[in-house]
Amino acid sequence: MSNREDRLRSLLDKVRAKRPDERTTRAADALDRIRTASGTTAAVQVSSSPPARVPSSPLPEPPTSPTIDSPTRYSSQPPEVERPLSVEPRARIRPSSGAPAVGSQPASASQSRRPESIRPQSVAPTGQPVVYATDQPEFPRPKTFGDLLELTLSLRPR
Amino acid sequence: MHDGRFDPSGFYEFNLTAGMVRTRTGERVVILGEDVLCSLVAAAARDGDLTPLRRLGELLGEQVHGGLDRPASVLSPEAVLGHVSAVISLFGWGRLTFERWGPALVIALRDKPELDEDELGAAALLGGMFSEISQRQVSCVPTGDSKFIMVDFEVAETVWGWFKDGADLPAIVGMLEAKRAS
Repeated sequence: MSNREDRLRSLLDKVRAKRPDERTTRAADALDRIRTASGTTAAVQVSSSPPARVPSSPLPEPPTSPTIDSPTRYSSQPPEVERPLSVEPRARIRPSSGAPAVGSQPASASQSRRPESIRPQSVAPTGQPVVYATDQPEFPRPKTFGDLLELTLSLRPR
Repeated sequence: MHDGRFDPSGFYEFNLTAGMVRTRTGERVVILGEDVLCSLVAAAARDGDLTPLRRLGELLGEQVHGGLDRPASVLSPEAVLGHVSAVISLFGWGRLTFERWGPALVIALRDKPELDEDELGAAALLGGMFSEISQRQVSCVPTGDSKFIMVDFEVAETVWGWFKDGADLPAIVGMLEAKRAS
């Protein structure tokens, strides 16, 4: 009986010792995938760093707003169904015993498997919850060519 | 017009007796060798007068108009792209696609005739075409790699200056912001 208890306790200790790292790695992988995944989410990439190859003069000050690294491409065939801008599953946030728990399904996870919730303190070393943001890009997809035209023709130097 | 897709059948009418080629809207066209066209455009670019290229673009825009059953402004970008790219292809000007860089519409024109080093000939052509399609004065400014950012003609000179000073497309987009006309 005591041997069995010891074995169980030992197993439990191993699981406790191992899980935080695993979860952190998995969460980091998922975050990387969301950032680099194909589709609109990746196509409209936004970074806060100023453009790398812009000469300091005579151009204006480096922009403080996001810069774009790659485009959204159009196909001449209209989409059959209005596609969502994001192809990754949206992060789910649900409260749990006073602190928010953040659940996210990694991109490579089986569709049939239920996403497991991750306690925020086990994800971020700072104890802050990590939210996998898959919000729509800053620029929504215009529905008509006229909308697209209005947007591009309204551009002015900052 | 049918399902809104471009129908290329019968686009050209060859009249061997009269020695003429016309488009289905009645516009007479002349088939030129690429090297001949390039020489003409290069000379025009050196002289700083690309008006004929812009006019040719307007004619292409009229061809696009002729194939649309509604104004381009109310059609989807994909539908307009289908017609524009078909007309561009039928005139032998390459493969045209749309890209959206943030708020900016960028025209990519691949496999086009290499007219002039700065791609100002193609820019004039695209500017004329999209001005005709949109019924507004627009400019397509070269930004390298056979891409042209579509902007209001009033800011075209500024954007061109940025590109000539070394700014690439992401940087140019970053230096622009959407402002509604007051």
